[in-house]
Amino acid sequence: MKKRLVLFLALMLTLVMGVSTLTTTTASAASDNSLAKVQKKGTLVMGTSPDYPPYEFQATVHGKTKIVGMDVAVGQKIAKDLGVKLVVKSMSFDSLLVALQTGKVDMVISGMNPTPARRKNVSFTHTYYQGGYSIVINKSDKGIYKDKDSFVGKTIGAQTGSTMYNESKKQTSGTTVKGMTSVSDLILALQSHKIQGVAMEKPSAQAYVANNKELAAIPSNFDLSASDTSAAAAFAKGSTSLVQAANKSVDQIKRQNLVNKTYLPAAGKYLKTNTVNTSMLHYWKAFLTGVEYTLIITVCSVFFGFILGVLLSLARMARGGVFKTALRWLATAYVEFIRGTPMMVQVMFVYFGLGLIVNLPALASGIIAISLNSGAYIAEYIRGGINSVDDGQTEAARSLGMSSGTTMRYVVLPQALKNIWPSLGNEFITLIKDSSIVSIIGVSELIFQSNIVRSDTYRGVAPIAVIMVIYFVLTFTASRLLNYFERKMQHD
Amino acid sequence: MTKPIIEVKNLAKSFGDNQVLKDITEQVNPGQVIVVIGPSGGGKSTFLRCLNLLEHPTSGEVDFAGENLTTLDDKRVNELREQMGMVFQGFNLFPNMTVLENIKLAPMKVKHVDDAAATKQAHELLKQVNLDDHADAFPTSLSGGQAQRVAIARALAMDPQVMLFDEPTSALDPEMVGEVLNVMQELAKQGMTMVVVTHEMGFAKSVADRVWFMADGYVQENNTPDEFFSNPQTDRAKDFLSKILM
Repeated sequence: MKKRLVLFLALMLTLVMGVSTLTTTTASAASDNSLAKVQKKGTLVMGTSPDYPPYEFQATVHGKTKIVGMDVAVGQKIAKDLGVKLVVKSMSFDSLLVALQTGKVDMVISGMNPTPARRKNVSFTHTYYQGGYSIVINKSDKGIYKDKDSFVGKTIGAQTGSTMYNESKKQTSGTTVKGMTSVSDLILALQSHKIQGVAMEKPSAQAYVANNKELAAIPSNFDLSASDTSAAAAFAKGSTSLVQAANKSVDQIKRQNLVNKTYLPAAGKYLKTNTVNTSMLHYWKAFLTGVEYTLIITVCSVFFGFILGVLLSLARMARGGVFKTALRWLATAYVEFIRGTPMMVQVMFVYFGLGLIVNLPALASGIIAISLNSGAYIAEYIRGGINSVDDGQTEAARSLGMSSGTTMRYVVLPQALKNIWPSLGNEFITLIKDSSIVSIIGVSELIFQSNIVRSDTYRGVAPIAVIMVIYFVLTFTASRLLNYFERKMQHD
Repeated sequence: MTKPIIEVKNLAKSFGDNQVLKDITEQVNPGQVIVVIGPSGGGKSTFLRCLNLLEHPTSGEVDFAGENLTTLDDKRVNELREQMGMVFQGFNLFPNMTVLENIKLAPMKVKHVDDAAATKQAHELLKQVNLDDHADAFPTSLSGGQAQRVAIARALAMDPQVMLFDEPTSALDPEMVGEVLNVMQELAKQGMTMVVVTHEMGFAKSVADRVWFMADGYVQENNTPDEFFSNPQTDRAKDFLSKILM
């Protein structure tokens, strides 16, 4: 027991030390070849959280879903002036700055205020837009609430990690502030009267009110410095040359008032075309993409997880010399560690943490993380399955001259597999559902797609109902299929 | 004088504090049928399992065709095990394979015999044990007597020089014992070297060349069946025989 603890601590320590050295190296390596680097690869990767119209949101253009909005226009302008191509990557607002620090994206434009706290970690351009805050309420409550001070004893919602969230906390008293990741969730909470108001930037509030007759906007009257209501593009800390280059574009945008004159009206047009048809059928392609990715992730993860599981279970059962004992301890430590940490954390660790060493796309990161996770569970099933095969089977095979490897492969494993088939099936079905976790790193599986449809259509419940049905159809079909194969394997 | 195929020297085996085999030195000559009898718990099965190293002896030596098994590496032990077929009390057929596949598996995976040749051989062996019409059945659909005959065919498929039988009829209903003993008797007639642990005294009397009486971790008597059954030497054997021959 004590040995195991020591091993564990050693493992943790290496992990922590590994990560901290990595962080410092990247920080110092980000000295200034940033501009040259971007120009050399020819693309500028922009991170954004596309649930914040008219800043950024998803729209269906000629049957294809794409991210649009005034921030995207700003990004395009900057990229064009740098002579490179803009690539837009979507992820949750909370993940944006981490993605910037870990080099997943080159630039973040997401209606982000250049607060002093943020300035400590990233470099901002000049502000390209000066906004203000409004509070969105239900139209039926219009007489009751006037501004931020009318919500005593009530609840205001704001996007987690946003300036509005912090200011709502600071500048109200007796009001509960509820944070949620996406604005569409907040609007849904507002309409179901879980909260009484949603604080958000003025242009966003106008967009929501314009698209939903049951909502109204009131001024917030927050006491704010200019920097609190302004939006700027963020770059990795210390990438001075890139920031300076981007500033030229930003200054031009300001000088020519491009945001108000060109970008906002253009974004508004998308909003209009967007809301013409909000039936779920209209979005079948978005849901189909979600199903596709959910299945890709699940099938790949079960496949790799199974291979890993077989190896881990064999390692856990290795007996003999020093090498085998070490292998056994290592496999045991791995299984215990993976089973003892949340899958969500593992997904983020693989995407952002391993991202420091190799730049993995989100889908690959998701598959890797879930395979690693699932491997630990499958290993335990397989170990149980192998133990459930009678020793007489091994003895019979060995007495015929078969080696331990051949015996395992042709005699024990096939029987073990049959015994654990129901458990493996459960794991598969669980993964169909749990793969939804990778939505946090922006893989367009079902949950992610449904969020997009929600912010696209301003309809909160319908997309949830749709994916609920889709998930059920997927898991039910899978369980029927697995039962069919289980029956086929029955000889006794 | 023929060279013994199996030679056991000062064999001892303990499980923890329990010393099951104490000091056994015996030999088996080619073509001999040895029947090992004795009271339960006397170490008969453990002794048999030491012969093909399913149990690793605590001390002493097991020589097969002149090679000391206890000093060989895994690979060589596997090669020598091919030449010692074993039949278990509980049959230990592979339940996920048909009768035919059970027999073909080891020749194909160990000797790398091709499928056609292995199938042909399997059918011949099944004819030998009168079960060719069950070739495509799964083991669970067989009676105990049938399953044990398949197990014998499976062991014979590796073309062994010696066959080890570990209480092959103990798990069978009485009416099925005969069919299995007949197959074994047939095998003995063909000149197969056999070491049989059994409680079937009739089989010992009619088929054995030598009877080894084993009790308390020792081979107490090693004699011809006639001598042993009519004139046992030790008190231990007399006591044993008086109990089972009542």
